[in-house]
Amino acid sequence: MSPPRLPVTVVGGYLGAGKTTLVNHVLRSSEERIAVIVNDFGEISIDEDLIVAADSDKLTLANGCICCTLADGFAAALMQIRSAGTLPQRLLIEASGVADPAQIAAYGHTPGLRLDAVVVMADAEQVRRQANDRWVADTVRMQLAAADLLVVNKIDLLEDADKADELCDWLAGLAADATVVRASRAAVPIDVLLGPRSASDAANARERPAREGAAAPGWHAVEDLFESQTVVLDAPVPMPVIEALLASLSDAVARLKGLVQAAPAAGASDTTAREAADATAYLIEAVGKRTSMTPHATDPTQPPSRWAISLIARKGALPPDWLAARLHPDC
Amino acid sequence: MGTPQPFVIYPARRVITINPAFPFGEAVAVAGDRILGVGSTDELASWGEHRIDDCFADHVIMPGFIEAHCHVMSGGLWNSTYVGYFDRRDPQGLLWPGCTSIDDVLERLAKAAADMTDDSQTLLAWGLDPIYFPGERLVARHLDTVIGDRPTLVLHASGHLATINSALMDRCGIDETATSPGVARGGDGLPNGELHEPAGMMLAGEAFADMMKANRSEQARWRYANEARNAGHTLLTDLGTTQLWDPEQLGNWKKVTSDPTYPARVMVAMSNLFGATADPAELAELCVQLKSEQTDKLRFGIVKLILDGSIQGFTARISWPHYYKPPPGHIGNGMWLTAPDQMADLVEPYHRAGLTVHCHCNGDEATEAFVEAVEQVLERYPRWDHRHTVQHCQLTTPDQYRRMAALGMCANIFSNHIYYWGDQHRDVTVGPERAARMDACGTALASGVSFSIHSDSPITPLGHLHTAWCAVNRVTASGQVLGPDERIGVPDALRAITIEAARQIKMDAEIGSIEAGKLADFAVLEDDPLSVDPMALRDIGVWGTVLGGVLQPAQISKL
Ligand SMILES: Nc1nc2c(ncn2[C@@H]2O[C@H](COP(=O)(O)OP(=O)(O)O)[C@@H](O)[C@H]2O)c(=O)[nH]1
Ligand SMILES: [Mg+2]
Ligand SMILES: [Zn+2]
Ligand SMILES: [Zn+2]
Repeated sequence: MSPPRLPVTVVGGYLGAGKTTLVNHVLRSSEERIAVIVNDFGEISIDEDLIVAADSDKLTLANGCICCTLADGFAAALMQIRSAGTLPQRLLIEASGVADPAQIAAYGHTPGLRLDAVVVMADAEQVRRQANDRWVADTVRMQLAAADLLVVNKIDLLEDADKADELCDWLAGLAADATVVRASRAAVPIDVLLGPRSASDAANARERPAREGAAAPGWHAVEDLFESQTVVLDAPVPMPVIEALLASLSDAVARLKGLVQAAPAAGASDTTAREAADATAYLIEAVGKRTSMTPHATDPTQPPSRWAISLIARKGALPPDWLAARLHPDC
Repeated sequence: MGTPQPFVIYPARRVITINPAFPFGEAVAVAGDRILGVGSTDELASWGEHRIDDCFADHVIMPGFIEAHCHVMSGGLWNSTYVGYFDRRDPQGLLWPGCTSIDDVLERLAKAAADMTDDSQTLLAWGLDPIYFPGERLVARHLDTVIGDRPTLVLHASGHLATINSALMDRCGIDETATSPGVARGGDGLPNGELHEPAGMMLAGEAFADMMKANRSEQARWRYANEARNAGHTLLTDLGTTQLWDPEQLGNWKKVTSDPTYPARVMVAMSNLFGATADPAELAELCVQLKSEQTDKLRFGIVKLILDGSIQGFTARISWPHYYKPPPGHIGNGMWLTAPDQMADLVEPYHRAGLTVHCHCNGDEATEAFVEAVEQVLERYPRWDHRHTVQHCQLTTPDQYRRMAALGMCANIFSNHIYYWGDQHRDVTVGPERAARMDACGTALASGVSFSIHSDSPITPLGHLHTAWCAVNRVTASGQVLGPDERIGVPDALRAITIEAARQIKMDAEIGSIEAGKLADFAVLEDDPLSVDPMALRDIGVWGTVLGGVLQPAQISKL
């Protein structure tokens, strides 16, 4: 069995939007071991060179007249990360302030890596001006359009909530595939940025006991603006049900992550032994409009309680039984 | 005071001095590494004890050519096999005929593979330019048939693509499950061996790293200078390829240039690229430090920045109406590599440190951003004679040239583009009108902007007679004249490749013309560029150079 692929989070957005602030926030708040690559074109960082070093490797790469040197740089950075003693659990790439995050995201398709999410930062105070700037309007709009999660940062600089609502509506139009998240100092809940921990516990660290209450029904607050819920699955879920679930996600859902057994046909209520054997395990994920189903190698001796789906949504946007209703359409 | 030391008089067919006050001489006298004087043999003999050397009696002597925009990669790439479309001379002086068909490319590769002794070695090649093979495509299958199992990588001329064979795909784990958008697929839906853009090319990992590693070696530096000498150049720049904070790369420059036989002077630019610190003030300080330790042959004091991409790659920033016939799905304009509104802050520390900033600007929007940044910095910190230079300067408009003149900026114009991609610029990238005013030496001259012209080697071959030929004739590869009104005369082109190039790297007090007291750096030519038909300029033979008084005949080198 090949080792699990390293999830890659790309952090993009125009100069000064708060990318480095977000990277630092993630490094401070996440329990994961994270390697950071800064795709820096010799930009001047406003607060010194401030990626916090705690438990992370920081590597810089940059571009030149001749673009092949960039490929060389990324390959070298990756080799360096892989040859380091302990492998990281995540790769965070801070894109340059003028880079197209979608292009940087292409690195997430390197064998051994897996693109998790493209997080794009927008400066709440500046983004309107930037998106209409004579020189960088197209760059900024391209960046916004590439987002899975659009973080409207520096909300503290706006006068009132109405201004913020108006701005977020306008940005949602430019970032059609994204879930819009508001933040100050890039303090987006870590589960929103990296995916719900309960399901990732299930997927990556099974030996760890499930956290108390993680499986309790209903919503749990995720800081101020989000709430999460987890549904534990005691049987395979028919493939069409999974597909319908992924297709039904609105932009109120910031993240969904689950480890499921997909049954080829309907009949979740009367699962037979044969169906269970036919079922294939998948890691399902969603961030913004990006959804994925990755076949997941499983150990058949594991107890069934680890099959679960977690989702994080904007507070108050979905009813308490939303996820359960989608998983049991017949009930 | 008498003669500094016994000196040598070189009578010549003609000495072209590029000194308007004394344009021509019959001979030049050299004392040690300096020019004692120009004039008639009798006039020079009157300085005192001397020796007359007639070896250049039939040659024309000019100031050594100065290439103010090229990269040391030019020497490193010759570790790999050349498969470009145009004829190219390697640093050993060997002519590699252009590969003008896919079959030529394959034949060249097959021969290179057959010549390799170590079975485990990867075959590396460079210079493939599929723009000249419309409708055809070199893919892994082709490579497999002629090369078999030896892993093979062919880097395209654009630097944005590579083609690899099945053996290398296997080694790198590239198969039908690949999800990277950088992995191109054939009609059958399977990866065809083409890797696009950095995200694709990096999948070739080590093969790629090997190719790039070669640029950091001593050998690359020797080859670089040998190639230059063979073309009449006495000074090369390395415009942002060397990581000067890496002791190995800096050490290799120091090592080669301290060898008295090393055949060129080198001006190595400081750059903020390739993993530098993000703080320009630190880089400025390092550059000033290096400058204080510079030698006659190893120079510092210029800084390379970069704003946009390339025109033929549709990544240069071009103002409205942008690109003429961009490929389907193109986003409309090129891309910024540096945020334009950060340029002034980026330029400022270098400017204040007394350094000269050279910024890559292919599109006119990039030029505008740089000119504006320089304007802002000058308002904050007025400084005379900075000579900040717009590099490439390909679509710079007449109004921009006027502003540059007013600000004291220089231009280094990519004249070789007219020949190598002029047809594509007219027909595809920018259309006839703007192609006609690309690389506008005529406008630069009329605006009073000091300008040089360049090859950007390895992007196009190093050789100032060819580059001057482009500026003078503006003839494309298909033989058509592109923008005749931007042509300049041969005398102006000769200034551009000598004194004006020296000026923008602030070495015009020492080199760039043949005058008493300057360094004895000459290009020794087989014919007179001012007498031949301008269309024959690029065909003039080069005997070699004189570097600091030392004869450097063009030669088949030992490397
Ligand atoms: N007022 C305010 N300032 C912020 C916020 N987030 C980041 N900043 C500041 O904005 C500046 C740019 O942030 P940085 O993370 O370096 O942006 P980057 O260029 O995208 O990496 C820094 O001075 C940050 O301290 C925020 O939410 N509110
Ligand atoms: Mg940053
Ligand atoms: Zn360039
Ligand atoms: Zn260049």
